[in-house]
Amino acid sequence: MNEPYFLSLLIFSPLLGILALSLIPKEQEKTIKMIGVLATLPSLLLALFAFVKHLNGYDLSQLTERREWIHFGKFSFLNETNFTIGYELHIDGLALVMILLTTLLATFAALASTSITKEWKGYFMLFLLLEIGMLGVFAASNLVLFFIFFEITLIPMFFLIGKWGYFEKEKAAYSYLVYNGLGSAILLIVIAVLLARTGTSNVAEIHRIFTDPVAQMQMVSPISEQLRYGLFIALLIAFGVKLPIVPLHRWMLRVHVQAPPAVVMLHSGVLLKIGAFGLIRFALGLFPGQFQQLSTLIVILGVVNLLYGAFLAFVQNDFKMVLAYSSVSHMGIVLIGLGSLNEAGVQGAIFQAVSHGFISAFLFFLVGVLYERVQTTSLDRLGGLAKVMPLTAGFFLAGAMASLGLPGTSGFISEFMAFLGLFKVNPVIAAVGTLGIIMTAVYLLRAVLNMTYGPAKQNDRVSDLRGMEFIPAISLFALIVLIGIYPNVLAAPLQTTIETIMNGLGG
Amino acid sequence: MMENAWLIPLFPLISFLLLLVVGKQLKERSAYVGMLLTFASFVGSLFVLNERLTMPTYKAEYVWLTIGTMKLTAGFEVSALNALMLLIVSLVSFLVHMYSKGYMHGDERFPVFYAYLGLFTFAMLGLVLSPNLLQTYIFWELVGLGSFLLIGFYFYKEEAKAAAKKAFIMTRIGDVGLLIGMILLFWQVGSFEYDEIFTAVANGDVSSSLLTLSAILIFVGAIGKSGQFPLHTWLPDAMEGPTPVSALIHAATMVAAGVYLVAALFPLYEASETAMMTVAIVGGFTAIFAASIGLVQKDIKRILAYSTVSQLGYMMLALGSAGYVAGVFHLMTHAFFKALLFLAAGSVIHAVHTQNIEEMGGLWRKMQLTAPLFLIGTLAISGFPLFSGFFSKDEILIAAWNHGHVGLFILAVIAAFFTAFYMFRLFFLVFTGEARLDAHHVHESPSVMTIPMMVLGVLAIGSGYVQTPWFGAFLGEWLTEGTHWHAHEEGPSWIMIVATMVSLLGIFVAWLMYGKKALARDWLSSRFPLLYNVLFNKYYVDEFYGSTVVYATKAVSILCQYIDRFLVEGMANLIAATASGIGRLGARLQNGQVQMYGTVTIIGLALLVVIFAVTGGYL
Repeated sequence: MNEPYFLSLLIFSPLLGILALSLIPKEQEKTIKMIGVLATLPSLLLALFAFVKHLNGYDLSQLTERREWIHFGKFSFLNETNFTIGYELHIDGLALVMILLTTLLATFAALASTSITKEWKGYFMLFLLLEIGMLGVFAASNLVLFFIFFEITLIPMFFLIGKWGYFEKEKAAYSYLVYNGLGSAILLIVIAVLLARTGTSNVAEIHRIFTDPVAQMQMVSPISEQLRYGLFIALLIAFGVKLPIVPLHRWMLRVHVQAPPAVVMLHSGVLLKIGAFGLIRFALGLFPGQFQQLSTLIVILGVVNLLYGAFLAFVQNDFKMVLAYSSVSHMGIVLIGLGSLNEAGVQGAIFQAVSHGFISAFLFFLVGVLYERVQTTSLDRLGGLAKVMPLTAGFFLAGAMASLGLPGTSGFISEFMAFLGLFKVNPVIAAVGTLGIIMTAVYLLRAVLNMTYGPAKQNDRVSDLRGMEFIPAISLFALIVLIGIYPNVLAAPLQTTIETIMNGLGG
Repeated sequence: MMENAWLIPLFPLISFLLLLVVGKQLKERSAYVGMLLTFASFVGSLFVLNERLTMPTYKAEYVWLTIGTMKLTAGFEVSALNALMLLIVSLVSFLVHMYSKGYMHGDERFPVFYAYLGLFTFAMLGLVLSPNLLQTYIFWELVGLGSFLLIGFYFYKEEAKAAAKKAFIMTRIGDVGLLIGMILLFWQVGSFEYDEIFTAVANGDVSSSLLTLSAILIFVGAIGKSGQFPLHTWLPDAMEGPTPVSALIHAATMVAAGVYLVAALFPLYEASETAMMTVAIVGGFTAIFAASIGLVQKDIKRILAYSTVSQLGYMMLALGSAGYVAGVFHLMTHAFFKALLFLAAGSVIHAVHTQNIEEMGGLWRKMQLTAPLFLIGTLAISGFPLFSGFFSKDEILIAAWNHGHVGLFILAVIAAFFTAFYMFRLFFLVFTGEARLDAHHVHESPSVMTIPMMVLGVLAIGSGYVQTPWFGAFLGEWLTEGTHWHAHEEGPSWIMIVATMVSLLGIFVAWLMYGKKALARDWLSSRFPLLYNVLFNKYYVDEFYGSTVVYATKAVSILCQYIDRFLVEGMANLIAATASGIGRLGARLQNGQVQMYGTVTIIGLALLVVIFAVTGGYL
């Protein structure tokens, strides 16, 4: 079965929603919110469909799309396809998993967006545009196309933060734009160099040229070893901003705190993962040799992220700041896993990306619920929530447990595999890193118990979780537990990707 | 039945899930759901144990997690040790479920309590069925979760919150040791399976230094869970939880998991003399260390908690002295008599609404069931002849002596004296003398609470007879079948006499002081105030941690905070300032004068030529 339009349909189906929204008067709050949620469903269903089929053995390469798009002059004397840029989509197990994560979180975030209080029309149009960008990033198999989708995520996000955020929203939005804009610029330079030197921007093609000695001779102009290092480090910085790697993280703290919680669900849940995805796909996929040479550095950066974020999360007085630093800390695990460069480590890194996506979306969903009711996330002003909002408090505790890597949740599986991988290659650094496992428990319990345990500081009339709010809460937690007790549901589709990466390493 | 043993942990899991959903509607009827389902586990455990008595170990495994070419499995294993643990856990859990119906009566969150009990029981039963280290670790942390939730059950109390947090973090410190140990072992052996680890160890595939290192690291996990020195401080604080929880989790089952882990990995420890020595020393030291603290405490539950720490130390000492059977035997008898003591203490607290033993007294006549049952427990733990603790403690002392640990043997004997003394101090203060409370409303507990105590009372006396020097070592022979371990420790007979004398002496001194009052009660505090203060303040371990580890963590965090706020942010600002500075410079260059433009052009051209000359046109 060949499905030449499947991926395009999946990526661009939120456009339907944007079109529908543009026809609706902006006062009709209910209709707009409903369309906003419904518009995320087609891509979710398509992604689920593909995922289930793939689990049953469907070959994803049949979904590949390839169309001619942009030509630069005529270089047929070298090679027919040189300097053409194709509209090329292709997914493997990793991309499929990331797409499923995106579509799931988009639906849940859309549900959580019902608490947005103004200009719903603009909000949901930007929201859906953001989803298109994110989906495209994971499906693009052409660097230029990748970059376009990458930029598409930037713009809606800027407005979503700047317009619907909290008190310092403008500062946060500019901070977001400047950091990520610089990251994009660096990425663009890398892409331009690769296109100029290899004559193609197709990822698989570049990969073939880099690995095949014959093809290497036919390159438009050869790439020296030093330039490879340069490109690799540029990629590390470009995606390091997104991930983020300390010290490139300051912007994301502001976004975590200032953006509306529904947007943070996507930001923390998916956008940070583009950093991880980019590192795996391009830094590791195209420059395995350089990655290998610098793997110790990457592991050290990971441990720094892990510990630095954890220690900082310990002294924050705003729960959103705790979660922001917690994201920094958890992304350290991705770096640790990748830097280990073995099956366990890389799989752990991917698991961590997915797991943290669900867990942090779950926690930020709850933050949104909480803020709507008590108008604060300050740890000093919260206490005894288990008394007045027992269900919300219970979910908070469950989220904290998942985040600190309690077995039975996805957080454990990813942390475990990443450390399993690291202990094989570098037990000493790994032992230092395990301090992070303790610190995670310390700061999460401090924060969550401060909010939920102890004498009640809120009045009794605060309502608990209700109605539609149960859907995201229960679904997200169920997914976290599902991966925790049956990890092969996620591991199975990733095996080919991991095999490819390992082959690239010559292992 | 053994092939269906996996069902046993599932019953309490169902109880947990069911009560989570419909507990609110069931209210106090939740107790029946919990009791029924744990009883099903108990019956299942009985069948499994019965079958395992005559049949070999049963093991089943399935692929759980694929990592590239590696396949990690999950499954269950019914070995002799596991079958025994299943029975102990499910029985004590069932009795505690029953007892709690009376004890927790009237609590607003009654169904939640039963749900948590179900979660804990599930995790504990899962733990003792695990066939590999990874699965053990998973359930190991889940029992920690159950313990955490139940310690913090009275979540609105600051003390309970602090205690729950402390328990989770202290045990997690230990767990990280276990995690590192098991991963190191994995990369040596290539598997988490117990069988394959033992085969690799027996074949000498694991280098001896790594074997010792991983065995000790795994033992760190056991130290955390079993409240051994220096990670013991959470266990006495855990007494903030409801008393039935203390009986189930912090006396009979979870805290014994550390001992179980060392026993389950016994072939690994045996292969490393250093690791064995570490286990023995930590155990022996903890036994006397905690017992000495117990001498002067005033809270009934904390005295019992320190006694638990001390008794767990005994078990570790036994295992470290190659006394596999002795350790497991004491684990079993201790589970029964300590659960009994806690339930009886709960019955007392239920009646008098205080935990301070100096405010109690003269309860013997008021509580005619609780008091004799408490006495049985006290006699059993003191090692009084013919009670269960007598036989198991004897095995431990002989094991320590036979293994040549003379110093540890002497420590253990002194600790036995301490135990007899502080337990009878507790008994005399609570049950004899004059009532120090307004006692007319003090009453015996309802039968739903006393029946479980009676069952445990029978076991506290009788369970010792499965392994005695006189009627044969039935337990030991069964546990050690197919191994070279001693089914029974043969030792000089004077050890039993010494143990008996020491125990009687402790009881006698306690009687002199608190029964007959011939010795002044403030004998120690008036004569050695410094020593008394050190003991009363638990050797200031908490204070030490507070001023070192906790302080250092905060200091590092605040340092990071400053780095983040000023250094990192400052760097970003500097870059921004540089950018805008270059912008301003650029703006100044564009001043409309042709001379300036010409200069810039020429300099730029010169630079480009130099770059090309150096690099040869290629980067």
